[in-house]
Amino acid sequence: MDAPETSTSPMRQNIERIVLIALVIAFAVVTYIVVRRPAGVGEEPKATRDIIGVIISAGLTLIMYSFLYRDNPLFKMAENLYVGVALGYEAILVWRQSLVPEIVDPLFRAPTGQALVSAIMERGIAILLGLMLLTRLSKKHSWFSRYSYGLMIGWWAGFGIYAVTDSMILKQLQASVAGLQKDVADSAWASTLFSGDWFTQVGLPIFGSAVLLVGVVSVLFYFFFSIEHRGPAGAVSKVGIWFLMVAFGAMFGYTVMGRLALLIDRFDFLLFDWLKLKNNLGI
Amino acid sequence: MAAPRADIKRIAVTRHIIYALLTVAIIVPMLRPTPCSFQPTPNSRRFHERIEQLPAGSEVLLSFDYSPDAKAELYPMSVTLLEQCFERGLIPVVMTHWPEGVRLAEQACHDVAKKYGKESGKDYVLLGFKPGGGNLLLNMGENFKSAFPEDYYHQPTATMAALKGVKTLRDIDLAVDLAAGPTVDMWVVYGSDRYGFPLAAGTTAVAAPKCYPYLQSGQLKGLLGGMRGAADYEQLVVKGVGPAGKLMLPQTVAHLLLIVLLVLANGRFTLARLRGKEGT
Amino acid sequence: MWYKRTIPLLIVFTIGVLAFAHNYVPLRISDQFRERLSEWFRIIGGFALFLGAYSLLHMHVSRIRKQQPGWAYSVFVFVGAAGMIIVGLLNEGYGPLRSAPVGQPTWYQWGYDYIQKPCQATIFSLLAFFMASAAFRTFRARNTSAALLLASALIVMFGRVAIFQTVSAWFGAQSSFARHADGLFSATTDAIMEYPNLAATRAILLGISLGAISQSLRILFGIERSYLGGGD
Repeated sequence: MDAPETSTSPMRQNIERIVLIALVIAFAVVTYIVVRRPAGVGEEPKATRDIIGVIISAGLTLIMYSFLYRDNPLFKMAENLYVGVALGYEAILVWRQSLVPEIVDPLFRAPTGQALVSAIMERGIAILLGLMLLTRLSKKHSWFSRYSYGLMIGWWAGFGIYAVTDSMILKQLQASVAGLQKDVADSAWASTLFSGDWFTQVGLPIFGSAVLLVGVVSVLFYFFFSIEHRGPAGAVSKVGIWFLMVAFGAMFGYTVMGRLALLIDRFDFLLFDWLKLKNNLGI
Repeated sequence: MAAPRADIKRIAVTRHIIYALLTVAIIVPMLRPTPCSFQPTPNSRRFHERIEQLPAGSEVLLSFDYSPDAKAELYPMSVTLLEQCFERGLIPVVMTHWPEGVRLAEQACHDVAKKYGKESGKDYVLLGFKPGGGNLLLNMGENFKSAFPEDYYHQPTATMAALKGVKTLRDIDLAVDLAAGPTVDMWVVYGSDRYGFPLAAGTTAVAAPKCYPYLQSGQLKGLLGGMRGAADYEQLVVKGVGPAGKLMLPQTVAHLLLIVLLVLANGRFTLARLRGKEGT
Repeated sequence: MWYKRTIPLLIVFTIGVLAFAHNYVPLRISDQFRERLSEWFRIIGGFALFLGAYSLLHMHVSRIRKQQPGWAYSVFVFVGAAGMIIVGLLNEGYGPLRSAPVGQPTWYQWGYDYIQKPCQATIFSLLAFFMASAAFRTFRARNTSAALLLASALIVMFGRVAIFQTVSAWFGAQSSFARHADGLFSATTDAIMEYPNLAATRAILLGISLGAISQSLRILFGIERSYLGGGD
């Protein structure tokens, strides 16, 4: 990642301060103009808190983009504010969606004594294990948390062996071979053998499935470092590298699309939600 | 050894020029749009068809497993999915494995339900968030309503009309995971492969290439990838240009800019090599 | 001490073997075992999230107390967290145990919509700039592998948008060449995704799965013990 500049001369710092003050004033002026503009035809008037919210969002967005020039106090302030807000948001969500229905309601707001006893029987051990988990924070008593962690980690280690073997190994290997098997045994062979359609209906699919199988085997072989990649082994490994390079290129292309989408969405917000501009189609 | 000061300055100037070019390449098409047509890809059509095949009253589990940084690509998919469900008379059951996804799910459900006059608890359900990931899927697979005893609005799920026929994940007619991260793997391994319900996915562009093995093996019944997938899906459902489709033009111009930059840089590098100098 | 280390390791092994083996036991008790444990983990998961929150807050408290460089910024973490927790608990007067009616705007939602959402989206959108700049400065076809990577990237970048039709529209034309060119790139992109990309990602997936199984076995047999944390 490009490292933003950090060291500047005193004159440069003065210039930057003046530019910053000018930008803040410009932001305030633009915001004032936009807020004072009457709502357009068909546009629902926004509540005051939402208008203030959009202004704050736009300000935070522009502050975040100031990082492109260099790291600065405003960016650090916004970054830490975001971390705090995210933390608070998640804490309340976990309280509402997990702790209240799972612990508070069954144990402290049980409708009957029998319901309370039933809740304790069902959840008592889990709550105890959860509390033991929190002892991880204590240097002296953190060994209690090993029981909770042991239970969870043991379970997922054992369960994962079965689940991953079935879904990610057996099914994937089957799909690698089954395609070729199905294409070779395709009944269209007979009907298309002497017609022009054989190539597109049978030949190409077989070629594709064969390419797929060769690709999977050669890439797997590339990652097998127990024998030296020389001679025939080197040739197979080389084919694997080619497949990997094409795949990584495709992933890079998709990553470009993905990252640009985020940027476009933020500009969409700044132009049409904050500044309320209209494009040349009037929308 | 530290790079010479002139080189650092040159790199900084180049960097800022590229930032400026990229900004212009995005803003200008937004303010002065020109026609930008594209045909939905076969994968997008397959995804759309899979939902079209469901009879009215089918339970469709939507998992909005993304956060605001993936909103650009996945929020339009979420809205269009809900629209297709309501148009076809399907019952969307919305949940999320990501805490930041709850509010986005709530917004999408609220806005689309208001447009179609649908009622929470009767025509759709917003279950919200629960921690656990794969464990939550195991819970849902054994006893759906015990995993979510209440919906997001603290209404009990046991007596909810929208979840009348749902006891476990096996009763789901289709699940769709809108994923910004590795939740597709989790849904495949601990969800659809285990409990036998059909699963489709909509992912960010970054995550899409990794889902192709599941698509080819049949573990995924459909896949939408990135903003292009969202725009294709909007075309098929809304029969026009939606929020994602509107942003395809700046996407196209930005791609063109990057392609030109890459070709220029590599052209210069190749020429320098051919002339026998060491390229930079 | 045996109850601090040996018993947890035994629990890991026992539960791990049961977790694996119960999939092959077609009895109701096996399903009940899984159901019971997964319900427990759902409850324990709620506590685990607070561990992360505590770690983060502790780090910032430390920074403020020791007045480390940049300590003043840590105050904003507490301002943000406290603000959200207070409005979340007050919940527009409905309190921490009830939900506000469907559709009613709340300050909790406001904090998410106008602070968390824009900040999170913008921080990640910075990557687009860095990616463009880094690609221009460093992405070079120095050898065959790099050339393959570059060619594949360019084809996908062409194929996932309609560049030719867009450019032709700029010149006021609706060229069939443009349509065919975009169609060709789109089909080539699909072919790249469905064959070489699929092969490579499948092989990587298989490799990761084998690694995960090997790691699980190491955990079950007590070779991997980092989850126990420090201390005796």
